[in-house]
Amino acid sequence: MTIDLHSLMAPYALDALEPDERERFEAHLDQCVDCQLELGGFMATAIRLGDAASHTPPSGLRDRLLAEVSVTPQQRPIVTSLSERRGLRHALPRLAVAAAVLVAAVGVGGFLVERDHAQDERRENLAISAVIGADDVQSVAQTFDVGGSVKMYMSAAEDSAVIFAKDLPRPEDGKVYQVWMIDGSGPTSQGTFETDGQMIMEGVAGADRVAVTVEPKGGSDQPTSPPIATITV
Amino acid sequence: MEASAARLRLAADPSHDPAPDLNDLLTRVGRGDEDAFADLYDATGSAVFGLARRVIRDPSRAEEVAQEVYIQVWQSAARFDPARGNAKSWLLTLAHRRAVDAVRHDQAATNRENRYDWSSGPDFDEVEETVTITLEHEQVKRCLDGLTNLQREAVTLAYYQGYTYAEVATALDANTATIKTRMRDGIVRLRDCMGVSA
Repeated sequence: MTIDLHSLMAPYALDALEPDERERFEAHLDQCVDCQLELGGFMATAIRLGDAASHTPPSGLRDRLLAEVSVTPQQRPIVTSLSERRGLRHALPRLAVAAAVLVAAVGVGGFLVERDHAQDERRENLAISAVIGADDVQSVAQTFDVGGSVKMYMSAAEDSAVIFAKDLPRPEDGKVYQVWMIDGSGPTSQGTFETDGQMIMEGVAGADRVAVTVEPKGGSDQPTSPPIATITV
Repeated sequence: MEASAARLRLAADPSHDPAPDLNDLLTRVGRGDEDAFADLYDATGSAVFGLARRVIRDPSRAEEVAQEVYIQVWQSAARFDPARGNAKSWLLTLAHRRAVDAVRHDQAATNRENRYDWSSGPDFDEVEETVTITLEHEQVKRCLDGLTNLQREAVTLAYYQGYTYAEVATALDANTATIKTRMRDGIVRLRDCMGVSA
């Protein structure tokens, strides 16, 4: 049925996974509060190993770094909005900050913010984990012209797909991104998000494709703009 | 630029104590404070460079990786939320991930089994001779000594040599499920030995 993603926790904490497995484990991690708690201890342990290897760096490094940062622009803070949950419980704000490693490293605390929601979403989370851990899982990724990317995992056995959107540019005021599943009878809304999001789509067997459009806040019943991305299922 | 550096230095002045709060420094780095960046580097450079060097071995390549890590820190510091965790953990996690990616990339064409010294096993001794001896290090060494050989090999080949668990399995002629279990048992034992809260 599903591979045991849980067994990847120790290799993950040691950075001993291949990139694809790492990604699948991180996707699983977003759903699994118990894993986050245990991983916090594993990561802290690995960091102790890392901290035991200190060695004075070459003297030139400091000056080169200071020169480089003086001409290097910085990223802006990420503002995570919970407001987009309204009416669309499938659109979970993605907790993972751009580098999932950041979340893993700083551990457990960050995830606990969302813990109140965890019970509500437990069933859904299990469904997401079932898809990304399914033996027949297939994934397809697409980069947006405007920046950011979406990745979709599909399992025929689970008749479901999970879509992760990451690092999209914030839409203009009053707008959100909306995800649609399109089959013979037309598009069905799957949820909205602002810059990052994840959602599960059930009953993908009949679907032809998944599309993302820009819509007014709160989402539309039907797409009102041409898709900025389309993924063939 | 100079004016802003002066202002920032002024703002930084009160917290000029011998053990800087790294979370505070990183937060200030996120606001573009170059002095805070220098202080952060001074406080963590040995740890970051040492870890990169341990995994990569080639000192000049390790220096490049350390430089990439700090530039990434500079660029993304605004996204660090001190409420969520610890600056040093973040830095070391970034450093390890980058070091492992570098060593895998560099050695993609190499038969890595040949690098494994079958006679002496994973050489934690080398860590010992090159590192600054700290209390933490003594503890790490003692706790590693407390693992079974099989657990220690699985953990150190992965963490200090950048092997994937599948590569560890090949190197140790074991199946991957066994290696994952050894890694898990090893980490749990280390965690408990080091007194890391679970």
